[in-house]
Amino acid sequence: MSMTTRRRLIASLLAGGAVVAAAPLFAGHASAAENTAPPHRDAADNDALDACLERESRMVATYRIAVAGLTGDDLAAMTLILDHHVAYAQALKGYLAVEAHKPSNAPLASPAGSLSSIARQLATLEDQTATIHTNAIGTIKGLDAATLLASIVTVEARHAAALELIAGSSPIAAVGN
Amino acid sequence: MLRSSGALAATTAVLAACSSTKPSVARIGMSPTTVKLEDLAVTDVILLRTAMSMETMAAAMLSDSAVTALATKDSASVIAAFATDHTSHLQDLRVLISARNGEAYSETNTKLMEAYGQNALDLVASGKLPADTLALTLAVETLIAATYQYFVSLTAEPALRADMVRLGGRSSRRAAVAAQLINGGTAGFAPATDAAGAPLVATLPGAFGSLSAVQVQLGPVNDTGTRATVLMDTPSLNSLIY
Repeated sequence: MSMTTRRRLIASLLAGGAVVAAAPLFAGHASAAENTAPPHRDAADNDALDACLERESRMVATYRIAVAGLTGDDLAAMTLILDHHVAYAQALKGYLAVEAHKPSNAPLASPAGSLSSIARQLATLEDQTATIHTNAIGTIKGLDAATLLASIVTVEARHAAALELIAGSSPIAAVGN
Repeated sequence: MLRSSGALAATTAVLAACSSTKPSVARIGMSPTTVKLEDLAVTDVILLRTAMSMETMAAAMLSDSAVTALATKDSASVIAAFATDHTSHLQDLRVLISARNGEAYSETNTKLMEAYGQNALDLVASGKLPADTLALTLAVETLIAATYQYFVSLTAEPALRADMVRLGGRSSRRAAVAAQLINGGTAGFAPATDAAGAPLVATLPGAFGSLSAVQVQLGPVNDTGTRATVLMDTPSLNSLIY
């Protein structure tokens, strides 16, 4: 066998071996593409999360107005909900870190008076906030942010129902039926 | 030649040892053949099927005679409405499953009914306390809300995560209403204790949704003066509907 022919044979064997060795690698990539795990974070989510942060900041401003005229158990209950929204804003700010834009502090409403007179207005704001966060969950890709928002909406739904009851709704109506 | 024959002999010895079919270690009895379990991925359809099983379980528990026989006139209609809500969610879930070429699941979550569901119902029946019907209702609604919240972290498709949250939000609202029926008014919003130091039911037990096991005290007071505490966990790998 001539040197040239032998060289060609060795080269073809090496190439064939490389293909055989690479086949599992490509197959692995193909199956990875089919079963790609969702990302934990995605920078493309930041705008939607900034909108959620803005909403929570404005809810904080709204509840600060609401608690001003309350006393006793009503004051304690609304201060609790205010504290919840402060926690939500802080959690979102912490998640976004240096990517967070400075949110507006403008209140969404000026609820003043007894709790029974402002409870329905507050319940509506809670519902709207929960809807904003839920819609954001439907668009963002990062799992960590979605999980955080889900833990917030779970409680904001409770806020809304409890406030509906305080406003005078029946138990079944307060659920949203 | 000596080197090659020695290498040949060594190789032959190795091959002979490796090819032996007799076990080298003495043992008593027969060891069973193990079957390797199939690797299953937790897909969005599996989560939806599991959600169907949880909603079916919730509807069944709230409609059980142990609950309906004891519920007061005021709470009976509310609990019945909650059970109907869970049944109506099954249709929403069927649509979601069908859109993903999956097969709907119409049964209860047998694993979790065995783990704690039936025990809870038996305790309610044996305790004969009307208050237990609302306590169980609160626990079930909190469990279902936590299940959907947990499933968000497992769901691959963002749009489906939003659907999970919407369904979970309904159970959250029902949980708040149940809590208010037990301990109503603004005094019942925050966690608190009674004069004896026992924790009271809170409408808003925490700022963020909890994924811990739901704890509920049910049934009669036992010999030590305490009541049984049932722990209800959200579904996990061994209770998903594959």
